[in-house]
Amino acid sequence: MTTHLSAAPIVVNPYRPSPARITSIIDLTPMEKLFEFRLIGDAAREAFDFQAGQFVELSIFGVGEAPISISSAPSKQGFIELCVRNSGDVTGALHSKKCGDIVGLRGPFGRGFPFQEMKGHDILLVAGGLGIAPLKSLINHIHDDRHDFGKVTILYGSRTPADILFRAQFDMWRHRDDFDLILSVDQPDETWDGAVGLVTKLFDTIDVDPKGTYGAICGPPVMYKYVIAEMRKKAMDADHIYVSFERRMKCGIGKCGHCGVGHQYACIDGPVFNYWEAMNLQEAI
Amino acid sequence: MFFRIIPKREIPELVRGLASQFHVIGPVAKDGSFVYAPLSAPAELRLDYDTTLLPAKEWFFPSSETLMRFTVADNVVIDDSVDETKRVLFGLHPCDVNSLLLMDNVFLGDNPDPYYKARRDNTLIVGVSCMPNEHCFCNAWGTDETHWGFDIFLSDIGEDYYASIRSVMGAELVDRYVAGRPITDDDTAAFQRRTAEFKAAFTNDVDTSQLPVLLDAKFDSDIWEKLGEKCLACGACSMVCPTCYCFDVHDVLEADQLTGCRVRTWDSCQFKEFAEVAHGHNFRDTRASRVKYRYYHKQWGYLSKFERVLCVGCGRCTRACKAQINPPRVVRALQTGLVD
Ligand SMILES: Cc1cc2nc3c(=O)[nH]c(=O)nc-3n(C[C@H](O)[C@H](O)[C@H](O)COP(=O)(O)OP(=O)(O)OC[C@H]3O[C@@H](n4cnc5c(N)ncnc54)[C@H](O)[C@@H]3O)c2cc1C
Ligand code: SF4
Ligand code: SF4
Ligand code: FES
Repeated sequence: MTTHLSAAPIVVNPYRPSPARITSIIDLTPMEKLFEFRLIGDAAREAFDFQAGQFVELSIFGVGEAPISISSAPSKQGFIELCVRNSGDVTGALHSKKCGDIVGLRGPFGRGFPFQEMKGHDILLVAGGLGIAPLKSLINHIHDDRHDFGKVTILYGSRTPADILFRAQFDMWRHRDDFDLILSVDQPDETWDGAVGLVTKLFDTIDVDPKGTYGAICGPPVMYKYVIAEMRKKAMDADHIYVSFERRMKCGIGKCGHCGVGHQYACIDGPVFNYWEAMNLQEAI
Repeated sequence: MFFRIIPKREIPELVRGLASQFHVIGPVAKDGSFVYAPLSAPAELRLDYDTTLLPAKEWFFPSSETLMRFTVADNVVIDDSVDETKRVLFGLHPCDVNSLLLMDNVFLGDNPDPYYKARRDNTLIVGVSCMPNEHCFCNAWGTDETHWGFDIFLSDIGEDYYASIRSVMGAELVDRYVAGRPITDDDTAAFQRRTAEFKAAFTNDVDTSQLPVLLDAKFDSDIWEKLGEKCLACGACSMVCPTCYCFDVHDVLEADQLTGCRVRTWDSCQFKEFAEVAHGHNFRDTRASRVKYRYYHKQWGYLSKFERVLCVGCGRCTRACKAQINPPRVVRALQTGLVD
């Protein structure tokens, strides 16, 4: 029976954002800022349980909503960190907010990285530009459970040295030998003594245990094909590689249809896909 | 299922009775065609209609609706109430009854949509049988029959309707407002004869074999370029489609700039910006890729999730498309490799 004229049970409104207060803002580059939020209300904070790789819908009433990856680790409870590039209306409006201001958040949405499955393995993370944001959540999470993982290598490509995000934090990790972090820039300046060129070039400098490594990739759409080719050259298994996709999104819950990728929706079936699955998605890579 | 014979002449009585408790919406004549509209008198109801321009989705998922009202300064929701108007949608054909079941999979599945749910929960469905017109091809998908998704379904057997009754509420309303009588074997025989006539009357022959395979195997076929060259990217196919559910969301400020509404409107994957993301990248930049996506999603994407195709063969897009792009033709192109 499809119609019930009795009083309908109260349903939670998945479109209704929860108010969140901005508790910290850090300028990373002229284009990107790191925001920290605290959901208002104990119940909302307790209900917010996420995995690295999931995203929220950031809501600024009067302007709109934008999907943004969570960049803090799930182990850091009570706070949600978003690294946001000023790319338009909503992200621009967020950039003009101050500490203490209230915005709305919905989520967490989507499928994240398979953290439990990755345990016990080496990890190879490849990020391009802003793609470091969701991977940072994973890196922080690994950091908190560091002894559960083998070697962790991060290849991170940026346009210029000034565009490198989270540099201070990476420097700290590097000194602790927790992670092998290799940076590369497309356009070096006079201060730059690191690698120059596409992030794929960094593969020549690393050793990968093909069967014992999990890979994760996030970056601009053009990057995936080339990075995956490098991973396959290192004989990594297709189903040990994870990719995170950006698509246009209006709902985050599999209804508005905007995020279609092949026969799936990036918001509920992704944004993190196993590469084996992604190979079967038309126009995905 | 319960059955009842309801003489056609008793329908106005039933409509009058329903109108005392519900807003009754049904097919009415307008400007030479038909639309679903609120009935101001039982006589307006045209159960002999062939199709409506717009589908019934408007009554569950309006072309434009306010999701919530908010205040700007403190970013707070002041109202996100749902529409609980008691309605009866009277006179849906099997395709349209089935289209709502397909919508339900999306809007009532995981993360149920409260706006759609409230309207669905508060709307009774009375279906009515039909005869196919030249654009109908519901038989290709098996959506020419409906066995659930309605409260009452009226099958035309001449002077009477052979009524299938699915819900308690449907049974109560029939009891209350029409005399009717129980069915006999003769009635069932008439129902079977009528069904056979209906099935024999289809003129479209759509070969749906192996569509998911063909959609993938012929993903790079030049049929899509050819169809894309014709497409006007007007989105009419999505607007008139009872199973297209994509939407856009935007905020509208009141004149005082202090409060506003978050509004959702129907959208179409045929529009250029549909899959565009920040910094100008567009995952479906060409018309060819967008026409292909509409079919790929309906005939394979949705199927992979819900085991049904996202089309009920109502033929509305066939009528609406100025470029003659429609499922029978696209499916033919997939089968033969040629756009006719
Ligand atoms: C899963 C996911 C994770 C993301 N993570 C981050 C992140 O961590 N940090 C970050 O800065 N950005 C991230 N983005 C991108 C971010 O969502 C877009 O930059 C943002 O939506 C642009 O919105 P706007 O209102 O500021 O821009 P607008 O003024 O709306 O538009 C600017 C451009 O963005 C495109 N756009 C509009 N709406 C959307 C939308 N809903 N989704 C995607 N593109 C859109 C438009 O086509 C336009 O070209 C992510 C996107 C996705 C899908
Ligand atoms: S695709 Fe066309 S024929 Fe199929 S349900 Fe939609 S409007 Fe009707
Ligand atoms: S297929 Fe036809 S109705 Fe749809 S967008 Fe193209 S021209 Fe318009
Ligand atoms: S964002 Fe709406 S369906 Fe994925």
